[in-house]
Amino acid sequence: MTNTLKRKPIDATNAFRLIGGLFFAYLFFGFMLVPCLDTLTSIFTTKDANGNVDPFAVIRFFLAGNMGKFVLNSLKLAVLLVITVNVVGISIVLLTEYFDIKGAKILRLGYMTTMIYSGVALVTGYMFLYAGDGILTTALRESFPGIDTSWFSGFNAVLFTMTFACTSNHMLFLRNAIRGIDYNTVEAARNMGASPFKVLFKVVFPTLLPTLFSLTVMTFITGLCAMSAPTLLGYDSINPEIVRLAGSSTADEAFPQARAALLSIILAMFTIILLTVLSRYERKGHYLSVSKTKAKLQKQKITNPVANVLAHIYAYVLFIIYMTPVVMIVIFSFRSWESVKARKLTSGGWTLINYFGSQDYQYTASSGKIKVREGAISGMFSNKDTLGGIQTSFVLSVLAAAIACVIVVVACNYIFKHKKKGLVLEYALLFPWLLPTILICYSYRIFFNSNSVWYVFNQNLYYEDRVRILIVLAYMVVKLPFSLRMIKASFYAIDDELEDAAKNLGSGPLKTFLRVKLPIILPSVLAVFALNFNALFTEYDMSATFNSAHGRTYAMVIQSMVRDEGLSYTNLNASGRRCASTVFIMIVSGLILYLVYGVGARDLSERLAIRDRRRKRIDKLKKAFSGKDKKAEAEG
Amino acid sequence: MERLKDTEPMIKLKDIVVKFGDFTALHDINIEVREGEFFTFLGPSGCGKTTTLRTLTGFIDPAEGRVFVRGEDITDVPIEKRNIGIVFQSYALFPTMTVYDNIAFGLKVKKMKKSEIDQKVRTIAKKVDLSDEQLKKAVSQLSGGQQQRVAIARALVTEPAIICLDEPLSNLDAKLRVQLREELKKMQREFGITSIYVTHDQEEALTLSDRIAVFNKGVIEQIGTPNDIYNHSKTEFVCNFIGDINRLSEDIVTLLCLRGADLDTSWHHYVRLERIHVNEPERNGVLTVKGKVASREYYGLYIKYYVDLGSQLVKVMERNDGVHIYDEGDEVTINIDPADLMSYPPTEEAEA
Repeated sequence: MTNTLKRKPIDATNAFRLIGGLFFAYLFFGFMLVPCLDTLTSIFTTKDANGNVDPFAVIRFFLAGNMGKFVLNSLKLAVLLVITVNVVGISIVLLTEYFDIKGAKILRLGYMTTMIYSGVALVTGYMFLYAGDGILTTALRESFPGIDTSWFSGFNAVLFTMTFACTSNHMLFLRNAIRGIDYNTVEAARNMGASPFKVLFKVVFPTLLPTLFSLTVMTFITGLCAMSAPTLLGYDSINPEIVRLAGSSTADEAFPQARAALLSIILAMFTIILLTVLSRYERKGHYLSVSKTKAKLQKQKITNPVANVLAHIYAYVLFIIYMTPVVMIVIFSFRSWESVKARKLTSGGWTLINYFGSQDYQYTASSGKIKVREGAISGMFSNKDTLGGIQTSFVLSVLAAAIACVIVVVACNYIFKHKKKGLVLEYALLFPWLLPTILICYSYRIFFNSNSVWYVFNQNLYYEDRVRILIVLAYMVVKLPFSLRMIKASFYAIDDELEDAAKNLGSGPLKTFLRVKLPIILPSVLAVFALNFNALFTEYDMSATFNSAHGRTYAMVIQSMVRDEGLSYTNLNASGRRCASTVFIMIVSGLILYLVYGVGARDLSERLAIRDRRRKRIDKLKKAFSGKDKKAEAEG
Repeated sequence: MERLKDTEPMIKLKDIVVKFGDFTALHDINIEVREGEFFTFLGPSGCGKTTTLRTLTGFIDPAEGRVFVRGEDITDVPIEKRNIGIVFQSYALFPTMTVYDNIAFGLKVKKMKKSEIDQKVRTIAKKVDLSDEQLKKAVSQLSGGQQQRVAIARALVTEPAIICLDEPLSNLDAKLRVQLREELKKMQREFGITSIYVTHDQEEALTLSDRIAVFNKGVIEQIGTPNDIYNHSKTEFVCNFIGDINRLSEDIVTLLCLRGADLDTSWHHYVRLERIHVNEPERNGVLTVKGKVASREYYGLYIKYYVDLGSQLVKVMERNDGVHIYDEGDEVTINIDPADLMSYPPTEEAEA
């Protein structure tokens, strides 16, 4: 029971609340609702050749022209992706968690690699292996000269790449769900005569259905909103088309902006429908174990020897598919540009140049003169462009991730204290979840590309350096729903009585928040910050929409390295540097995940135990040294 | 600020009314607690006992009525200035702080000197039997009983005038509850602090308290010593709520009247299990009713018989003397002394 009847005096707290209310209203209307409504209205305000408003011009164009192709292509990708991702995702979880497969720990590590490199880094990694000049294709061409080297492009390449890129959620959520199964239910079914596969289909799968349903919806939305894979591998889907249209002009084609807006709204409609279905399903509740003494799931042996061998082969084939790009990227990041260009591994040619330092390139021009290209070979930490991209992405991602966390922490504190009013705030912050990222970015790009938006002081935010503000705003707004869901969950850990206890001991609201509540939620807040940063650091969709000379992020730099690959003499080791960049991303992401789930998840007792062990070790060392000293003194 | 006479009790809740919207949670609550007394608010869930405690501690403002401590009206005094320590139901120990930091929290808020804080924390820790080693631990590393001691130490270290304990034993297992109950009483006697204890457990209330206030639906049914409450329950609710009891059926009451008891047959008559006996030698004024043992529960120290008297089953609690043990189906007589009956006029609530 809270202090329902406590009368609040008009004081600094109320003033703070008023400022907070105004800020959240500004955030919601100014950076969520108004820009998106502007996009929606732009569809119906296109003008014909005579300058008259024709509300249905774009829709007529959509129905008559080939715009429908982009929608159908995206839907095709989404539908097939749901099937392939679920097949692979369920397989890898069962192979590592449910069935007794030899080397499951190693397999799990391999299957989890997509958690430390994804998006553009993963797509370019796959291209490095399978594209026309990729390592595997080159090797195959040598053995089979007649093969089609452009096989890895278009729909199939996108589907293949995204299938393996999108299983991270299965490894996180389905794995947790399967681990939560009460083993006693499996034993009970076996005891009643069910075969292992019958148990799997009749007992295990039904309890996983809610999680699988959520994963299916999320995968469908991911497929629908796919950006980096279709862009880089060449597939006409909605998002790349929106970005293309956003950068086009009426001189080149008919009302490109209005068409982009229509595509974004179509995407938003699909997203809203799917998320509504998902939330209705989630409201029905999940299957919960009713067991009071839950038993830990034990791995099931596949008793049929043939099935066992086939399962092992399948597991390791998947492992090879997951691991090969990673291994190749790591290896080739230490190779000279000649070796990378030839896509061949030889005993020589090892170098650190893709990471550090720079070299000049000497060549003979057609005139016969020997020319030198200064700095044509450079490492990622020496190359101005790459380093600039890293710095830009780092700063923008840190800012956006931190602002999102601060906003959500303040909001959650209010939401938990004021259940009814808090609900309005909660829905406002969850609003961007309903909108595809591309709609938000496109809306920002168009709406703020003007000097007449009063609430940003009539400043054009899509102009020169200000585009960075726009990127931070977009990054932050897009990350608000995720941050809210995660941080709100951590607030449930705060017992109402803790606040009462602090108050009873004389602590004011701010002190109580800083000294009692914040330390409890801090690990979760830091985890959300780290996960947001991880996702934003190599983020592609928004970067592509806002790409300009002043807002060139790391993802764009990586993409440009693909483009630069063929340009000899100027940027010779673009591919090697791209490999090094991907390795860098993997290290940063891995480190963050370790800090979040390894170090950050420790509670006070674990931290004290570690401190205790460390102290004992130091004491032991000190004793050992002092013992030696004494011995030396005695001998001396 | 209104001041009452110096002869006033330590705590006085005067005409307290608490409302949550249209719902009145407390109706005219009047309680007086003496200095050093162990006073318990007892009642079922939702009866208003915690609301009364929260009104005393300042978490809830009463719609009507005043709260006095040592004669001083503290109704409008902020929570932190009331000088009342609280031990919460969940203990509300700060999980991110060590045991030491938990106890020191209130002293740090008061901005005391570090050396003074240290001295006070160690003194109180010693009193509640917490070792120096335990002070360095995280609260999650302690057992339920040890956590309770930390909560008590934290509440007492600021030297409050009163300590309020809100169902502090409810999260513990039965054995530990009994053990800590004894420790709690011992500690209260040692500190001599006025204590307000909230519980729904009648056994806890009877064993710990100097006096008890029994709550029901936002009103106080009775205030008295454990013996008053148990043996002289003022209302039918108290009589039913405290301990196990037999309500005699109309047939049995009529039968007792026929045998000379002076009872109003329209009233409800109750008798405690240990006040009636099986096959007791005849005594003056004690009436007997014949019956048959329907079943038996063996508790070791006691044996509980369910005796079928024809119109009802009555429960009888007999001391186990190892000799007089009756089996299911045995014909027995039940001895009832009308003086042991507690009788109440019928009320709508009781009829319901």
